Amino acid sequence: MSANLDRRLEALAQALDLAEGRLDPALVDAGRQVVDRAGVRLGFGVESTVVALAGPTGAGKSSLFNELVRAELVDVSRRRPTTAQPSAAVWGVAEPALLDWLGVRRRHRVEGNGSAGLVLLDLPDFDSVEVEHRLEVDRLIELVDQIVWVVDPQKYADAVWHEQYLRPLAAYEEAMAFVLNQIDLLAADALEACTADLRRLLREDGLGHARVFAVSARTGAGVDGLRRLLADKVTARAAAASRLATDVEVAAGRLAPHCGTGPRRGVAAADRKALAAALTAASGAPAVVRAVEAAHRRRGALATGWPPARWLRRLRPDPLARLGIGDRSDGRRRTSLPGATAVQRAQADTAARKAAAHATDGLPEPWPALARSAATRAEDAVADRLDRAIGTANLHVRPPRWWRLAGLLQLVLAAAALVGALWLLALALLGFVQLDDAVPLPEVAGLPLPTLLLAAGALSGILVGFLAGALNASGARRRARAAQRSLEERVARVAEELVLAPIEAELGAHDELRSALDAARSPGPRGLWPLGRRGGAPTEEPAGAPSRSVD
Amino acid sequence: MSAVATNPERTTRALTLLREALASSPLELETAGAGEGRRVRDELVAQVDDYLLPRLRELRAPLLMVVGGSTGAGKSTLVNSLVGSEVSPAGVLRPTTRWPVLVVNPADLASFEGDRILPALSRTTGGPAGAGGLELVPSERLPAGLGLLDSPDLDSVVAENRALARQLLAAADSWLFVTTAERYADAVPWELLHAARERGTALAIVLNRVPDDGRDEVTGHLREMLARNGLEEAPLLVVPEVQLEPGGRLPAAALAPVRHWLDELAADADARAALVRRTLAGALASIPDRVEVVERALAQQVATAAELTHDVESAYETAHDEIEQAVTGGTLLRGEVLARWYDVVGTGNLMRSLQTEIGRIRDRIRSAIALRPRAVAEVEAEVETSVEAVVRAAADRAAERAVSAWRSHPAGRALLADAPPLDAVSTGLPAAAEDEVRAWQGDVFDLVRREGAGKRTGARLASLGVNGAGLTVMLAVFVHTGGLTGAEVAVAGGTSAVGQKVLEAIFGDQAVRELAAQARDNLLTRVDRLLAAESRRFATLLEPHAHAGDSVDRLREAMAALGAPS
Repeated sequence: MSANLDRRLEALAQALDLAEGRLDPALVDAGRQVVDRAGVRLGFGVESTVVALAGPTGAGKSSLFNELVRAELVDVSRRRPTTAQPSAAVWGVAEPALLDWLGVRRRHRVEGNGSAGLVLLDLPDFDSVEVEHRLEVDRLIELVDQIVWVVDPQKYADAVWHEQYLRPLAAYEEAMAFVLNQIDLLAADALEACTADLRRLLREDGLGHARVFAVSARTGAGVDGLRRLLADKVTARAAAASRLATDVEVAAGRLAPHCGTGPRRGVAAADRKALAAALTAASGAPAVVRAVEAAHRRRGALATGWPPARWLRRLRPDPLARLGIGDRSDGRRRTSLPGATAVQRAQADTAARKAAAHATDGLPEPWPALARSAATRAEDAVADRLDRAIGTANLHVRPPRWWRLAGLLQLVLAAAALVGALWLLALALLGFVQLDDAVPLPEVAGLPLPTLLLAAGALSGILVGFLAGALNASGARRRARAAQRSLEERVARVAEELVLAPIEAELGAHDELRSALDAARSPGPRGLWPLGRRGGAPTEEPAGAPSRSVD
Repeated sequence: MSAVATNPERTTRALTLLREALASSPLELETAGAGEGRRVRDELVAQVDDYLLPRLRELRAPLLMVVGGSTGAGKSTLVNSLVGSEVSPAGVLRPTTRWPVLVVNPADLASFEGDRILPALSRTTGGPAGAGGLELVPSERLPAGLGLLDSPDLDSVVAENRALARQLLAAADSWLFVTTAERYADAVPWELLHAARERGTALAIVLNRVPDDGRDEVTGHLREMLARNGLEEAPLLVVPEVQLEPGGRLPAAALAPVRHWLDELAADADARAALVRRTLAGALASIPDRVEVVERALAQQVATAAELTHDVESAYETAHDEIEQAVTGGTLLRGEVLARWYDVVGTGNLMRSLQTEIGRIRDRIRSAIALRPRAVAEVEAEVETSVEAVVRAAADRAAERAVSAWRSHPAGRALLADAPPLDAVSTGLPAAAEDEVRAWQGDVFDLVRREGAGKRTGARLASLGVNGAGLTVMLAVFVHTGGLTGAEVAVAGGTSAVGQKVLEAIFGDQAVRELAAQARDNLLTRVDRLLAAESRRFATLLEPHAHAGDSVDRLREAMAALGAPS
């Protein structure tokens, strides 16, 4: 029993930790009080069973108390309300700390007659003009293991009792018993009708299995049944744990409606995609991709282009360098990408909100709001993180190895052309000074060698330049695609970390909270009520008093 | 109160006014004093209907004495015993009295049969009344000049009974308040005794079932309590606890104090009239304080409604500012649309070499626009998407801000609880935003067409044609103050640098600037309209509570007519 209760208390404590800062603080505080109270109460041990006699003024709580104790321990008076301070009667010995905790100062020791461990409290009334009495009752019925409500034929239908006490306490049926006192004032048939009517009202309050005892504290009629119930409770030593279990169930039950019941939902794939797309646009990645392509072309042209044409390229700055993205950026420097436009920010914001809304679809408040604020919490950090993600991305812009070969080839070809040109120039100069034969003019395949060198060098240089240009164009496209993949992946990682993970964290908290609440509410394999319903039968004894009618 | 005696008509008129003002006072916002205000308002309305107006109409009508008290106090037994027959069922089951029973002398029957008092309750005679009914029982045993009304329990588990009991008590010329030795310190009836004192209702108290051994103690204590609560003038009639006679009647000896008091009252018309006057005067005198409670509650309603309205307004004002900033801050179209625009006007590498030759660019723009209507449509679509995205995000945030502001207020929480979820934009907003932007674009083209006909437009703009000029004006709206740099345009558009000069040359044109200013105002007006529609979702929730201020005025008017300072 206790292990089961411990497990449920633990589950409730866990649920409260999760609910902290998420659900209504009042509910969380109420739950914490239950956990704290249970810890204290269990610390006193279950050997003692605390039973409170509660009821309206004049119903005869004090008389019944005296009757159960078999001594005139507390004053019984005509003056209303009578009892201002709760009194305790202790059978055997009880932990004084327990009574201190209950805040009961008037204590009486009763020599045990089989009920050792019973602590019987006589509470003040809850319905008189004295507000303090009511507060005292409200405080104590939270703490005791068993409540015995004492009413009389005049007051059993009072709205205040049914509406403000019994209906809210309907879950505690096992921890409550009902005494219809002063039956000596009723005729037998009236008593029967009255008891039936009380049962009817209790049923309407949600207490269909309530144990009702018809007694007369004055004559002692019917009190034995109540005594037996109390003795049973004391020997079973389960009343405290049972009441605390109900406390846990009620506290968990109050939190439960704030969680969803349907199957788990996560962030939808479509939302994930939309968010990534919006963030990619906001990050400036498309510009970087274009720059990668342009940069590769430009660098390729510089490396492999026809050398005389390279200077043209040099006039334009390197597109990547202009964005502040180096080949191997360390990410500590900001890129010079322009900030996201208002539109892009708006689209990213909307995508994050949509993802949160869809992920919490069907969950009750406050979960949609929690997920939304989780999704937008890092809004300000997003721009910076995206920038860093772009800056540190591997853009695959390393120059390919063939560039050096092609470059070398271009140099060789250019050199050949240059040699041819110089040769021809030399020939021309020598021809001018009529020294035609000073320089040899070998012929290859019928063409003069210098002419061949110049023409072949220049033409193949241009041809190689074109070929390399075509290769570079496709290489640039490939690199752009790779850069895009890499950037998208990095942006997706930022989206995951700053937007989606927080949403998932809230959903995870929700699921954990729900299963913790389920655990706190489930009675477990051993059953919630090991006590059974012993001593539950009401004892209806004929009233010996002269028949009276009370209207 | 002489005014009442001399001019009951005037008082009646003023009370009717007051009643209407009260009945139409909205107190449904959950403020701190709303519950109290509603209770006082409803009680006052009921008292005017059920007591004040009928009594003023006929000052000499028989006295209505309501027998009220807790469940099980013995009200029905007392009435049955006084009348000498079972007119109201008594028994051990609670509540016994489920409908009110009015016992009158046959001579007075006529004045109770009509709808002079308690007009809302239908009369039956000779049988039990149903829900919302009142059973009339003529009895010779009751002296003429007063009716005795057995009311349901004050503290019954049946909520309707409780409400009815309070209504009946409010209608009474006098209360015969029945309690018992066991119950006299209960909290619920004392609340009503306080109410009786506040309303000035004449009161007599029957302390029933007093056991012999505790008689002095209990009566002494009750007298003490009455004195402490300012009710020491109320006669205290003590009925001892005795065995009932067959038929469930109290023996005559036990009943003697009550019967004696009633007979005396019945015999003395002046005493009756004095009692009626006392209660009437008390009731009228209690009105200002009670109306003030309602007024205070109404003032709270006004303040709370204003607060909630302000929350929504400031949320959407912020949205407006955000959008205005996005639209005019030059950041809205820095990337997408401008890039498109450059596509449209065919800038590229060429542009760089043409920086200084604006005239040729203009030609290019004109021809490009004329030649590429599809690109124009694309730019238009971009503008649409951009504006819609910004409006949507701002409205989303505004809705969220408004909801979270309302959630922090109990009244706001209550309003939101009954409403569909409001913490995101309405489903119709994206479509509405699209429509507005499209309509705006139409307006811009109209504007250009209209202005283009006049001489105000510069030749440069006119040379772009309506489409090109319209597009240029639209873009000018968005880049108006933007310190756009060529590099950014290049990055965003992937084109090479375009000099600032080009932009200045085109957007700096006086005619373009003037038209852009008009177009911007037009767009912001449309945005405001969209936001207004969004915020109206909140305003609709507040609508039913918006007239609290008028009610205060009407209450003041009625109080002035009543001749009492409010």
